[in-house]
This record gives sequence, structure tokens and C-alpha cells, in this order.
Amino acid sequence: MTGKDKLFTTFDKIVRGSKADETEIVYIGSTNGLTRYANSTIHQNVYESDAQIIIRTVVGKKVGVAVTNSMVLNDLKATLRNSLEIAKYQKDNKHFSGLPGPAEYAELDTHFQQTADYQPKDRARMIKKVFVRGNRRKFTVAGAYATGEGEIAVYNTKGVRCYQPLTSASINIIAMSDTSSGYASGLSRNVDEIDPVALADVAVEKAFRSKRPKPLKAGDYEVILEPPAVAEMMEWVNYIAFGSKSFEDKTSFVAHNLEQKVMDDSITIYDDGNDSSGIAMPFDFEGVPKQKVMLVDRGIPKGVVYDRTSANRNGVNSTGHALTAQSQGQGAFAMNLHMAPGDKTREEMIAGVERGILVTRFHYINGFIDTPKAVLTGMTRDGTFLIENGQIKRGIRNLRFTDSVLRAFSQVKGISKTRQLMPAWWDAIGCLAVPTVHLGSFKFTGTTDF
Amino acid sequence: MKDKLNGVLDWLKGKTVDYADCRFVRTESEALQVTDGIVDTMSKNVNVGVGIRVLYKGAWGFASIASTTGADIKKTANKALQIARASAMAKKEDIRLAEQDPFKDHYRSVFVKDPFAVSMHDKVGLLLEVSEKLKTDSRVKTAEASMDFYKTNKIFCSTEGAEIEQDLIESGAGFAVIAFDGGEVQKRSYPNSHGGDYATRGYEFVEEMHLLDNVDRVREEAIQLLSADDCPDTETDIIICGSQMALQVHESCGHPTELDRVLGTEISLAGGSFMELDGLNTLQYGSEIVNITADATTPGGLGTFGYDDEGVKAQRSPLVEKGLHVGYLSSRETAPVIGQRSNGTMRADGWNRIPLIRMTNINLEAGDAELDDLIADTKNGIFFDANKSWSIDDKRLNFQFGTECAWEIKDGKLGRMLKNPLYTGMTPKFWNSCDAICNEKHWHVWGVPNCGKGEPMQTAHVAHGTSPARFRKVKVGVNK
Repeated sequence: MTGKDKLFTTFDKIVRGSKADETEIVYIGSTNGLTRYANSTIHQNVYESDAQIIIRTVVGKKVGVAVTNSMVLNDLKATLRNSLEIAKYQKDNKHFSGLPGPAEYAELDTHFQQTADYQPKDRARMIKKVFVRGNRRKFTVAGAYATGEGEIAVYNTKGVRCYQPLTSASINIIAMSDTSSGYASGLSRNVDEIDPVALADVAVEKAFRSKRPKPLKAGDYEVILEPPAVAEMMEWVNYIAFGSKSFEDKTSFVAHNLEQKVMDDSITIYDDGNDSSGIAMPFDFEGVPKQKVMLVDRGIPKGVVYDRTSANRNGVNSTGHALTAQSQGQGAFAMNLHMAPGDKTREEMIAGVERGILVTRFHYINGFIDTPKAVLTGMTRDGTFLIENGQIKRGIRNLRFTDSVLRAFSQVKGISKTRQLMPAWWDAIGCLAVPTVHLGSFKFTGTTDF
Repeated sequence: MKDKLNGVLDWLKGKTVDYADCRFVRTESEALQVTDGIVDTMSKNVNVGVGIRVLYKGAWGFASIASTTGADIKKTANKALQIARASAMAKKEDIRLAEQDPFKDHYRSVFVKDPFAVSMHDKVGLLLEVSEKLKTDSRVKTAEASMDFYKTNKIFCSTEGAEIEQDLIESGAGFAVIAFDGGEVQKRSYPNSHGGDYATRGYEFVEEMHLLDNVDRVREEAIQLLSADDCPDTETDIIICGSQMALQVHESCGHPTELDRVLGTEISLAGGSFMELDGLNTLQYGSEIVNITADATTPGGLGTFGYDDEGVKAQRSPLVEKGLHVGYLSSRETAPVIGQRSNGTMRADGWNRIPLIRMTNINLEAGDAELDDLIADTKNGIFFDANKSWSIDDKRLNFQFGTECAWEIKDGKLGRMLKNPLYTGMTPKFWNSCDAICNEKHWHVWGVPNCGKGEPMQTAHVAHGTSPARFRKVKVGVNK
């Protein structure tokens, strides 16, 4: 960890020589370790120490961006020069409203020393225990166990000084027999809150119960979607619908259905970077404090997230969802997604299914088919079960679904009161906090051979 | 730099490691994007560091550092050694590497115009012109155009004596238009969707795209899609354009022939493969006209290089011959499982990541059909153009692809345009239904700059030489 004082002192030195009207420096540094295992042996064990330093310079309405991964003073100065050189070649961006001034952001505890101190040998010891749980039922296990720490700083010449230290720990476990597999995962900023052995037992039990899966015809079924499955869907819905760009491009269902009821009353989705029940992060990459943004309130789309430029274009305020300067062509992006819990237990929901399917997770979802209708397709994997008369009957072969989220989430029969944190590609900056969801109708359109 | 890397390798030899390699990588990249006449991305990125891989007592350790000082590199080497020791705590058996000649060489990719020497003014000017011309209809909601350039210098040294330096230049560009009429919204792209086309070439590759010449057609097709009929739900013959064939090859042949997937080590993220070891030389993957080759030497391909990141020389090896599955993409660690030496496909997406088995240029060899003749020879069918969506199961069997646009084929002629088209199938059945592949005239190497794999996630630059092909009795249009 470089530390707040050293970072800001260094940045002071850099901008002192800046000829730009405004200068911004964003620092994203991290040291991460990851142990990967398969066939009940460790096959990959890596450590990475890296940083991204993004310098944005503003000359009038012209904006230049240059990036380096070196904190050496001369490299930073060269990056500043590159950024200014680019700004010179730029055209005026009439939507750019300048860099923000300082604003108070929430004090959040996002760094846990026990996670930062976790070593490769600690991960290896824990993974050996996971192997033992698999061996008991003659299953092999595969997965990845990652721990790391990082720091994010946003500094600009208008007085923004944001700094946040972060840690993150995550594990995924797949237990495998010859004919089946089962999945479980854990995510927390505090490694002590993850219990790999308990998660291994969940994965092993799923693999055990789905052995020798039987084929089931594609069709319309009642489903119980467990949190990994819901998170996979939400990650795509977020990508195609809750950012400013998809809203402005009119490709988002939110743009077509603002303030109109398109899902069941029980569906509420919001983004909240200050909610520590998720993986919290209190400011964005422009140093704007994160606002809680209601995306879907009781089935009604309410809006999307914005950075300063997209907000200016739409006559609203930034919601604190800017990406780093070199990615702002993609618009603002929600990274701390929450789906509101319901009042059921998983068992109550399964008990309420006469004939349906329990999905542990999905694989390779894609949401570009028909984005205004939020049509997704994907395959089930690692534990798909037939439910009959309120009980999990047996494992079934994997199925492809193709369905509109708007249609499927209009048929909600129950939502669990507990939620699980699921990692997303944007990693330690946020996650998805999602419940188990019971839907009355879900369209499976294809089958496969396993 | 070579001296520093070799100094650290000498130190590791003193620690009695089984094997170690060091990779220095410096990448300079430039990204330009124009949206609706506004330059919303214009950035330069310089990324430098060293990654060290150590095999100690039969177990791997890897550590990397964003620094090039001797002291930091040595500290990182020690970290890699400690990690290898931790890995050994939970190993089943010792890892053995296939034999490899330690090359000493300097490879430089071929280019005519250094894209970093072309002025920003010229590059941005072209993108602005494309964007402005696309916006000449009120139904055009968004017009975007982009360019990306990469300049990479890599040095690889190993305890076996390899010393390989490589300099690569890569270029890419493209544009897309989103049309909206108050209800419907549709997108068309050129020369390919998802950012355009890419190659291990210079700025001449961008010039050869003739971006401006294609603006009018692409804009009009996007507008036409707004009032097009939906793709029907049926089973029919289909002809797939070259760029969509690239993704078809990528997902249903490239990934399942990665030997690490076959051996189970990618299960935790991307999954396994239906192309299992007992199918090698026995699985009839496709029809007899299907020949698929991994070729890291294809001129200008985005998967073209001199040596992989284990120091194995770039080469050409068959994956599917006359429809029969005959090969895998392999590494020094996995090749011995099939009694072979590595065919050189291990690549990392930077100094900070370990090399994994990655696609190179996975090419569907050209057939003998003329596209016009093929359409004329199709009584009823659908022509699919430019990828829009993709999905495949974790063994790469059941796939579903959507394209931006399709045209109905009736009595050997292209007819009405169809929107939101999808086709779906099971990989071996689908490839066995392939009865025609277009000839060299229609064959193009499509660059894919965003192939994801591994944990932590790595993005590889790969490519696919393909031409349009026909498949019989395919299920289409399942978007209901």
C-alpha cells in the first residue's frame, strides 16, 4: 500500500508543473493473490502488484487522457505531458462540464488487515481442506481462491482528495463426479467471513444430488433461481439497461418504459455504493460521492446512473457512477447493485413448487438479442434439479433458456429474505447482492447432452 | 533488460528450481472513440512490468511487479519461489514440461505504416468524418467510430537458455450506427460488430477498410432494420457470413480444442470441453469439407507472433482434417499428455499474468464455393450477417448466436431483410451439416481483440480466417 499522504504529496508535485486549466489524477493500485485448483490439485498460484495512474487534463473544453502504471516521478511527468499533448489535438466537448469540486463522501470500513495479510500458504491450507471434503464422496474439486488489497485515490486541481483502502476475498468451488457437478461461492472484504469448508459441503451436496441427471424437454417451467443464477442475469441487465449510454442510445428497456410497470411489485433494484451489506465503495472515479439510485422500484423503471458528462447532456446531476476517464465513452455504470429481499425462505419457495426446475447458476448468458425487451439467453450449469410436489426430485441435464427478463420478472411467486454477495467483473469495487427468486414461468428453449 | 532477467534466473537456479522464466513486457496503446461528432475517448496508455514463473519441486509459482529495477525483480522472483512452495503443499504429482529448444531470436511483426507515427489529427479527422456522415438521417440515434493501436515489446528468458525479444504492432478500427424510430431500435456495424476488425499490422490496415465508402450502406441497413420482419421460428438451411463464421469457429472449435480445458483446469470459470482425449483421431467433428487449422504464422493475423510466452516457435497445426478431430492447442505442460511437444499457444495478456493456452489464428480453411452460386443453389434459407449475441454451454455443445441482420433466401435469391435473427444447434451435428464453404476470394482473417479466459481474467488477441459457409437444416429464430 502506498498510502494516502504519499499519493497526494506525489500528485501535488506532478500537477505543480501542469499547464492545463484543470488536472485530475486517479490512482488504482492493488496487490492480489489467487490460487486456482482443479482435479483436486493446485495448478496455478499467482501474485500481482500493479497500479493504474490515469491523468486527465482539461484545456477549455478539450480533454486529454494518458495512463501509466509507473509511480516513478519522471514517468508520471511524461504521462502528464502525453495527456496535455492529446488535449491539444482534441475537439471541444460541449457536454464536458469541467472537473468537480470537493464533496463529502461516506466513511466506510472497506479494509480488513486479516485479508491483506492472507498468504499463499493460508490459501493452500484452506484449499487442502476443501479437497478433503470432496474426497469424502470421491468427488474432485475445482475453483479459485483470491485475496487482495488495494487503494483508490482521486485527486484534482479543484480540491478533490478522495482516498479509499480496500480488501477483497472470494472463492468459488465446483465439486465434480463423472456425471454431475455442484457449485458454491463466497465473497467478502473480510476473509474471515468466508468459510471454504462449509461452501465445499454445499458444492459437494449439489454434485451428489445431481448425479446421473435425466434429460428434460425444453419448455415453460416454474423455476427457483438461486443467487448465482440471479446475479448472472442481473449483471447482464445492468450492462444493457442501467447505464447512461444504453439509456441515451435507447437500447435500454428503461428508456422505453420509464415510470411504467414492467415487472412484478416485488422487484426492486437499486445501486448503493454506501451500503456496507454489499461490497461498498463511497465515491466514483471523478471523486463524486455515490448516490443511492433507484433503478426499478416495485416493478417500475425509475432511471439510470450518470457521470458528470452524461448528466450534463441530460440536464441532471451526476449520481457518482463515473468510470475512469479513458473509459467514459462507455457512459456511467452501476457497480453496487442490490435486489431487495423478500419474505420467504429457500425451502418455503421449493415447497411451493408443484413441478419446476431449480437452477444453481447460469453459464455464458448473453443479453444483446433484443435489448429493449431485455431478452437474455444462457445455459444452466453445476446443479440443475427437477422439483416435484415441493421437493427436489433429481438432477436434470442442463438446459438453455431464452426469455425476456421483463416477462419473467413479472411472474414472481416469491423472493428470499436472505441475499448473497456475488462477484462481478468489476471486482473489488462492488458486487451484486441478490436473493433467491421464485418465478412462475421461465422459458427453456434448448437442451444439451450433460 | 536481458541481463537483469538472466541475473534473476541465475539466482533462481541457485535455489535449485526445476525451471523458471522471466517476461518483460512494455505495451503502449492508443484508444480513440468518436460518438455523434464528439471525441469522447482519446487516450494513451503505457504499461510496463516483469512476470516471473517458477517451477519448484514440481509445483508452479508466479509473481509479477510493475517495476523494472533489479532489486524489485529479484524480490518478485523470491515471491514466485515462495508461492511455488505453497503450491507444493497441495499437489498430487510433479508437473513435467515437454522438451523445448531454447531459442535466441528477435522477432518483429510486419507493418507498413507505424500507427503511432500517424498524426492524431488525421486519425481523429477520419473518425469525425465517419460519425458526421452516419448522422445524416434523423433516425440515427447514435453514430460511433473508433480506433485502437498497440505497440508491444516483449523479452522472454528462461533457465534453459532461451532469450527471445519480440516487437508487435497491432491496429484496429470500425464504426457502428444505432437507428431508432420511436419504438424499434437496431444496430449495424462495419467492418465487423463489437469494435470492428483488428490485425497485427500497421495503419495501412485501417486505410484498407475504406471506412467512409461503407457509411451510406451501413446507415441505410440500420434504418431498414427498423421496419424489417422478425426472423421466423423454423428449421431451414442457412448461409453464415465470414465475420459470424469467425465467432462460430472461435466458440465451437477454438475454445473446445484448448487442451487445458480438456484436462479440466478451466472448469472453475469457462468450463470443460466435449472434445475429450478419447475423441482425438476418432471424433467426426464436422463434414469432410471442414478443415480447421491453428496457424500462428498467418500473415497479419491478430493471433500472429514469433514465439509464444513459453518460448515455443509460432507454428501451424491442424485441429480438424476432413472433419476429423486431429489436434489440440497445447502447452509444454499439457502436450506430454497426448505424447507431443507444445504447438506454441501459451500467451499471457501482459507481464502481470501467467501464460495460458490461447487461440492463435484458428482458421476454417477456404472451400471451393462462390458466394453468389451458393445463394443461387439454396432453395429456401436465411443468410446471417455480423454477430450480435453469442452463448454456448460449458462443454461447447449447445450454442446460440444472434446476428445484427439476416436476409431470407427464396428460390436462390436474397429476399426480405429480417431483424433479431438467431440460430442454434449442437456443435458436432451443426458442423457435420456443413455442405459448402466459400473460396479464397471470400476468405478473410477477422481479428478478435477481446477473447476472455482464466482467473484472474485475461484478454487475448486472436483471429480467425473464414469465408461464408452453408449449413443444412438448422433451427433458427427462437426468440419468442
